[in-house]
Amino acid sequence: MDYSSEVVRRFGSPGRVGELAKDLAGVVAGAAEDRSLSVWVRFQVQILAGRIERVRYQVYGCPHTIAAVSWVAEWLEGSEPEALAQLDVQMLAKRLDLPVEKMGKLLRIEDALQACRHEWKQTVAS
Amino acid sequence: MPAPIYLDNAATTALDPAVAELMSSCLSHGPKGNASSGHAGGRAARALIEAARAQVAARLRVSPEELVFTSGATESNNLALRGVLAASRQEHPQLITSRIEHPSVLATAKALERQGVDVILLGCDAEGVIDVDALRRTISKRTALVSVMHVNNELGVVSPLAAIGAICREHEVPLHVDAAQSIGKLEFDAQALGVDLCSLSAHKLHGPQGIGALFVRAGLGVEPLLFGGGQERSLRPGTLPTHQIVGMGLAYELADPSREGPRLERLRRLLWQGLQGLEGVRLNGAEALLAPHILNVSFARVEGESLRLALSDLMVSRGSACTSAAELPAHVLSALGLSDALAESSLRFSLGRFTSATDIERAVARISAELPRLRQLTALAPAWCSS
Repeated sequence: MDYSSEVVRRFGSPGRVGELAKDLAGVVAGAAEDRSLSVWVRFQVQILAGRIERVRYQVYGCPHTIAAVSWVAEWLEGSEPEALAQLDVQMLAKRLDLPVEKMGKLLRIEDALQACRHEWKQTVAS
Repeated sequence: MPAPIYLDNAATTALDPAVAELMSSCLSHGPKGNASSGHAGGRAARALIEAARAQVAARLRVSPEELVFTSGATESNNLALRGVLAASRQEHPQLITSRIEHPSVLATAKALERQGVDVILLGCDAEGVIDVDALRRTISKRTALVSVMHVNNELGVVSPLAAIGAICREHEVPLHVDAAQSIGKLEFDAQALGVDLCSLSAHKLHGPQGIGALFVRAGLGVEPLLFGGGQERSLRPGTLPTHQIVGMGLAYELADPSREGPRLERLRRLLWQGLQGLEGVRLNGAEALLAPHILNVSFARVEGESLRLALSDLMVSRGSACTSAAELPAHVLSALGLSDALAESSLRFSLGRFTSATDIERAVARISAELPRLRQLTALAPAWCSS
């Protein structure tokens, strides 16, 4: 398998790995998995005053998936919460030079973000 | 960047410098004739080939006349299975082999099945040991051939050949053994084990790629796969590659299991000692039955492709090299009952003549460093990622 330099860089130093402290305010979480694709993704997103302050994640997956999750976490920080619904997986695949057969894994990242957004919406509504 | 560590000797081995020198000399200054020609050049080439044949035969303790040179163990396996089944006089012949054979046996068995051969695949236990009782129950007058490998290429588990051979002899059924992984590491006495056919490779023991052999016990009926020449008792027609055969001969002479076996076993034990203390590590295969040079280990809670990239300075295989190309979980590990996730995160380490204790120590250090890093990513992952 060939990997782009960006995938190799992010795989070697993904950043933002782990968990946010349990008592932090404004933290929502969302996970998604597909056993047949050997992928599991979990994001924790801290949203304060209409802005994504911090993102942490856990991921079980191939180097492309780890690099993609790393990129998404970085991209989300500083964005508005609606960014959770605005991930363009085609753009992400192009940016990281991901092979087309990995697209299914990117969709699980999208699902995990949607799960975060769903929890945030519920939090806001209550 | 430190030099990569080569621990994939079950896939192929580095050419021994003495073998390379001999082959080079043969190409540059060796006989100019075809070994089938009657002139001086042909006779000189023939003499080299027959000397090499004797070197290979000595390693198996068989008669040189019983060896047929082929392109390698894959061809030898094909010739053994298809050749014996084609020569069988049974109306509905049966082939018995196991689920954990090399793809060149399993795919050939499948092709024979499509032609009407009754193929029985013996199972194995959770440690990769072939079910001998199942063979005893299954073997019959219809059985034309039993085929098992001596050392499993993925796990390193040594097959119970003595017991299998005894059952075959009792029922007068020929036994084929793929010994590509064992010759040079384990003593192999074809006569004592009751082996009737044996597939051999040169490049698995520091000889050249593209050359192998099949031992066929004298008098055993085998139909050729190829036609068009009388070479190799008409079992394998085609001009014999003199330089490759002399290379194989020397490689077999150099591969002394009484010297190599204990050294490789010490290194394999050193490797396992270094790995078994790490969290979530599992040895695949019966430890007490391992060949000296192969160790297959699963690393739980680490995705396989990520593990391999993280350890890209270690040249190792996932499952077998043949399986790696297909990007599928190894059939052997599945037969042991491993989940896809665990099979995916398994590495086969295989040692060779040029593996050093320093290589092993460096490999253990690299794995010890990368595992915790990768597992930070999966600390909260669900159970299926680790079992």
